[in-house]
Amino acid sequence: MPAVIRAKCIVVGDAGVGKSAICQLFTSDGSHFPKNYTLTMGAEFMVKPVVIPDTQDTVEMYMYDSAGKEIFTDMVMKFWDHPSMMIVVYDVTSETSFSSCEKWIERVRSQKPDVPFPGALVANKIDLEQRRIVGPKAGKELAMKTGLDYYECSAKEMQNVDTPFYFLASEYYKLYQEKVELFKAFVA
Amino acid sequence: MFDLALSEAGAQIILATSSDDKYPPENMIDGKDDTFWTTCGLYPQEFIIKFTSLVSINTIQISCYNVKKLKMEVSSDDNQAFKTLAEKELQPSDSAPQSEEISGRNVKAMNLRVVIESGYDHFCAVYKICVHGNAERS
Repeated sequence: MPAVIRAKCIVVGDAGVGKSAICQLFTSDGSHFPKNYTLTMGAEFMVKPVVIPDTQDTVEMYMYDSAGKEIFTDMVMKFWDHPSMMIVVYDVTSETSFSSCEKWIERVRSQKPDVPFPGALVANKIDLEQRRIVGPKAGKELAMKTGLDYYECSAKEMQNVDTPFYFLASEYYKLYQEKVELFKAFVA
Repeated sequence: MFDLALSEAGAQIILATSSDDKYPPENMIDGKDDTFWTTCGLYPQEFIIKFTSLVSINTIQISCYNVKKLKMEVSSDDNQAFKTLAEKELQPSDSAPQSEEISGRNVKAMNLRVVIESGYDHFCAVYKICVHGNAERS
């Protein structure tokens, strides 16, 4: 039987940037884009297995699609203990949502300050070219500064939504392999 | 007194919350120091060892890595609820496995449950668990 590695993926960002749309598209393999906006209260929980290429192993992603509205923050942070990875989403047409990213990153990292974990910065709504305010350069710079990997996507056009998830799954799998090598080294 | 948690002596792992085939939970009770069980992410993680008969536990030794909060529980037969035997917070270790000894206070047990409630990293390893004690006459 192949190994199943489990990861807790915290998805954060301001309200309305498209966190739920991204998560629902990814878990439904692109078949479900929520056409109407519903405000997430607390956190929505989803599971999606990701098979790691060239192996038989799977990373099971337990996703916590967290409410972006500030009034839920205290409540939603209670779900964040032992995070394995994070996805920080912003809307390229909203400067405010972009400048909130650092705050979100800090909040998730404060859960496990001693343990590094992989993360992705996702610029959503790139289909709205005319209204775009936050360019790729600013996004990449923030990602670099905060130690995340930068991705652009459009949930509406189903473009590039899965990529950050696959990236994180494979990073986490690598971490597991590194640890196993370390465990072995102690008794070799 | 001898090691009751040995597969050779008939002890079994009847539950483990992680299983990577390459590092199965049975590695903890195979009597070898150089094999181990890995947890595959998330907390808590746990495993249950079932002894061949009712035993009285004197000490438990565990050799592990990255484990922070550890809880041991026992049940005296399969129908009984588990009772907490010990709770410990282990010190982090950099370059060698952690080693911990827990007094069993001669508690009677048929099953031993070990819960790793948190760790110093995403993943933990348990190399070996030894349960010293005697078989109980029933």
